Amino acid sequence: MADFSTTVKDIGDVSVIYLNGFLDAHTAPMLENNFSELINKNRYSIVVNFEELAYISSAGLGVFMAFIEKVRENNGDIKLTTMNDKVYNIFDLLGFPLLYEIYKSEDEAINKFKSLK
Amino acid sequence: MNKILSNILSRRSFHLFWILTAFLFLFRIVFIPSENFAIITISEIVLALILLSLAFSLSGLFKEVKPNPLSLVVNVGILSAVIFLVMNFSEPIVQLLIGNVKEKVKNPGLAENVISILYSLIFLGFAAYVFLVFKTLFYFKQTRNVETYFNTMLIFFVLTSIAVYFEQNEELSYISTTFYIVSVLLIIFNSLRISWIAFIVKKEKIYLLILSVVILILFIVNLVKMGGGHFHYQIISSVSLVLDRFLNVLLIYGAIYFSILFFTTLFHIPTAEAFDKKAQEVSSLQYFSKLINEVLDFKDLSKTISDITTKLTGSDAAWIMWKNEDDFTSIAQQNIGYYDAQLIHGFMLSQKKWDKLDQAKIIPIEKFEKQNELSEKYSTLLVAPLKAHGNIKGFLLAAKKGNSIFNEEDRSALDTFSEYASIAFENARLLEESIEKQRLERELDVAREVQRRILPSKNPNYPNLDISSIFIPAFEVGGDYYDFFPIDQNTLGFIIADVSGKGISAAFIMAEVKGIFESLSKVIRRPKEILIKANEILKGTLERKIFVSAAYGLIDVRNGTLHIARAGHCPILLIREGKLQDIRPEGLGLGLSFDNVFSDSLQEQKVDLQENDTLILYTDGITEAKNGLFEDFGEDNFRNLLLKFSSHNVQTITEKVIKEVSIFSQEHSQYDDITLVIIRWKQNIINNGEAEWQISAQQLKT
Repeated sequence: MADFSTTVKDIGDVSVIYLNGFLDAHTAPMLENNFSELINKNRYSIVVNFEELAYISSAGLGVFMAFIEKVRENNGDIKLTTMNDKVYNIFDLLGFPLLYEIYKSEDEAINKFKSLK
Repeated sequence: MNKILSNILSRRSFHLFWILTAFLFLFRIVFIPSENFAIITISEIVLALILLSLAFSLSGLFKEVKPNPLSLVVNVGILSAVIFLVMNFSEPIVQLLIGNVKEKVKNPGLAENVISILYSLIFLGFAAYVFLVFKTLFYFKQTRNVETYFNTMLIFFVLTSIAVYFEQNEELSYISTTFYIVSVLLIIFNSLRISWIAFIVKKEKIYLLILSVVILILFIVNLVKMGGGHFHYQIISSVSLVLDRFLNVLLIYGAIYFSILFFTTLFHIPTAEAFDKKAQEVSSLQYFSKLINEVLDFKDLSKTISDITTKLTGSDAAWIMWKNEDDFTSIAQQNIGYYDAQLIHGFMLSQKKWDKLDQAKIIPIEKFEKQNELSEKYSTLLVAPLKAHGNIKGFLLAAKKGNSIFNEEDRSALDTFSEYASIAFENARLLEESIEKQRLERELDVAREVQRRILPSKNPNYPNLDISSIFIPAFEVGGDYYDFFPIDQNTLGFIIADVSGKGISAAFIMAEVKGIFESLSKVIRRPKEILIKANEILKGTLERKIFVSAAYGLIDVRNGTLHIARAGHCPILLIREGKLQDIRPEGLGLGLSFDNVFSDSLQEQKVDLQENDTLILYTDGITEAKNGLFEDFGEDNFRNLLLKFSSHNVQTITEKVIKEVSIFSQEHSQYDDITLVIIRWKQNIINNGEAEWQISAQQLKT
C-alpha cells in the first residue's frame, strides 16, 4: 500500500496538520487520530496543509466531515490550504468549497484565524 | 501372521515336549542299563529334542509377555535359588527312596530310572529357561546386528556339550577342552555387550547391583556343587552327560554375565542421576511440545506455556510478557500478581541489550531497586525470548523466591522449551489470521452479493436510446451504484452514485440509496427535487463522515430533453459532433450538509439532445485506476479515448475503454469499483414507426 504520514505543528493558537502521501480508507485513521488529539487538547483552530498530499480518496474526505461540526461548535474551524490541482478538483467536485475555507497558502489561513481574535 | 505361526509352533512344540518325555521314560525303562553306544545316543538325542521343544514353547511365551530385563534377572535369581535347594536337599530324599545312589545309578531299576529322569528334567527345564533369559537379555536394546555372535556361541555350546564323550578317550579329550575354552571366551565377549543397563533408573540400578551379587554367588555355588563326585553329578551323568555339560556351560555363562553385570551397574551408578534427569527432561520436553501443539487458542496456549514453564524449571512463578506494538503487557501469570509482573518487566527492560536476547538468560534480581515494592521476595529471574521470523514477540519469564536460584540445567531446559513455545505461538497466530481472513472473505462475498442484486440486471429498452452499461467490482467492494427508472414509456430516469468508503458498510448504504431513489423517482420528476429529498432522508441514517456523490437525470424520449442535477458526482460527459463537453451543474455531495447549504447549492441543467449525442456517466474508479507505479489512468486519458472511439456504437465504446483501463492497471489490483454507462440519443427513429405512433396515441389521450 502507498505511504501516508502526518506531522502536527503548533503555531501560536493554530495547529497545522501537514499531510504527506496517499490518504485513503486505510490511512484515514491516522489523520482521524490527529484531529482527535487536537480536540482533546482543546485546540480548535486547525489548518490542514495539503502541499505534499498526492492523493485523497472519498474515505479521506470523510475525515474532515467527521470533525468539522465539533470544531465549529467550539468556535474553531478547519481551514484547508495549498492543494494541488488534482486534489482541489476532488474537493471541488463534491462541493467542499461551499463548506470549507480553502486557501492558496498556509500563512493566509493562519492569518485568517489571527484576524478573528 | 507371524504371531499366529509362532503360536501354533509353540503349542505344537509343547505337545512334542510331552510326547518326547513320555518316550524317554519308556525308552530308558526298557533299555537302561545298557553300555550300547546306539542306545545312549538315542537317549541323548531324545533329551536334546526335549530341551529344544521346551525352549520353543517357552520362547513363544517370552514373545507374548515381552518382559523387562530387570524382571528376567529376578526370575533367574529365583530359579537358581530353587536349583541350589534341589541340589542340596534332594540327596537325603532320594537316598530315602532308592537307597545308596552311587551303586544304584550304575544298575538302575524302574524306580531309580524314573527318579533320575525326573531329576534331570528339572535341570533341563532350568537350562531351557535360563538359556532363553540370557538370549533375551543379550538381544535387549541391541542396536547392531549381533545375531552372528550369539549363534556362534550357541554352536560352541552344543559342540562343547557333545564333546564330553571325547573325554572318555585320553587322546581325544583335547577336543573337548578346546571347545570348552572357545565357549568361555565367546561368553566373555558376548557378555560385554550389556547395553540395556543405561536405560533403567537409578533406583533400579541399585536394586540390580545387589541382585547381581546374589545371583553371582548362587551360580558359583551351583557350579561347584555340579562338579564330579557330588550326588548331583552321579544322577545327571547317569541320564545324560551332554545335559550335564550344557548345564555347566550355562552356569559359567551366568557367573560371567552376572559378574560383568555387577561391574557395569556399579560404574553406571554415579552418572545414573544425571542420566535420569536428562532423560526425564527430554521426555518432558517432548511431551510438552506435543501438548502445546494441541492448544490453538492464544489465551489457552499462553496459560499452558507458563504452567509448563513452572514445572520445567521448578520455579515459583512464571508468566509471559507479550509485545503489543511497542510496549509489553504481562499475560498468563502463574503464581504472580499482575502488578509484580509489570514491575519486573520494567526491571528487565532496563537491562542492557534486552532486545538482543537470543537465548535464555538468568538474571539476579537482588539489585532491583524496586525490590521492596514487590509483594514477594524474588531472588532470580529466568528469561527466554519468544521469537517469530527472528523478531522478538515476547518473553517467557520464570522467577524463584527466597534462597533457591536457577541453575544451568534450568536455563538450557527453558531455552529449548521457549523455541517450541515460539513455534506454538506462531502457529496459533497463523491460525487466527487465517480464520480472520476467511471471515473477511465471507463478508466480502456478502457485500458483492448485495451489490450484484442492487444493480440493474439489464438495460432498459427504448427505441431511440442506445444504452450500454458495465460494472466491475473491486476486490474490496466499493460503493458504486447506477440504475435506470423507466417512469413511463416516454420518460427514463437514471442515476449514478458512489458511496464514500469501501466494504460491507458501503454496500449497505448503497442498498439504502437504491431504495430511496427507487421510491422517489416514482413520485418526483425533477432531478433537483429528488436529490434534495434524498439528502433529507439520508440525514437520519448516514454517519457524519460518510457521503454519497450522485447525479440524477431524466430524459424525455419524445423530444430528447434531458434534465440533470449533480450532487458532488463526477461531471456527466457529452460527446456532440466529435467534441466533448462537461455537464456539470453545481451541487454538494449527499450527506455533506443537511441544511439550506445543500438545497441552495444544487442546480439543475437542461440539455436538448441532438442526433447521436452521447452521454457518458462514470465513477472515479476509471479515472483513478492505478498502474504499477501508482499513477492514475487520468481524466485526460479517459476523455481522449472516449473521443477516439466515439464513432463506434455504445457497446463497443464501453468495451474498448474498459479494455484500455484494464491494460493500464494490470500490474495493480483493482482499487475501486468501475462503473461506465453510455447513453446515445437516436433522434431519427422517432420519425418513423412505433415511437411516433406512441406519441400520437399519448397526445390523443391527453
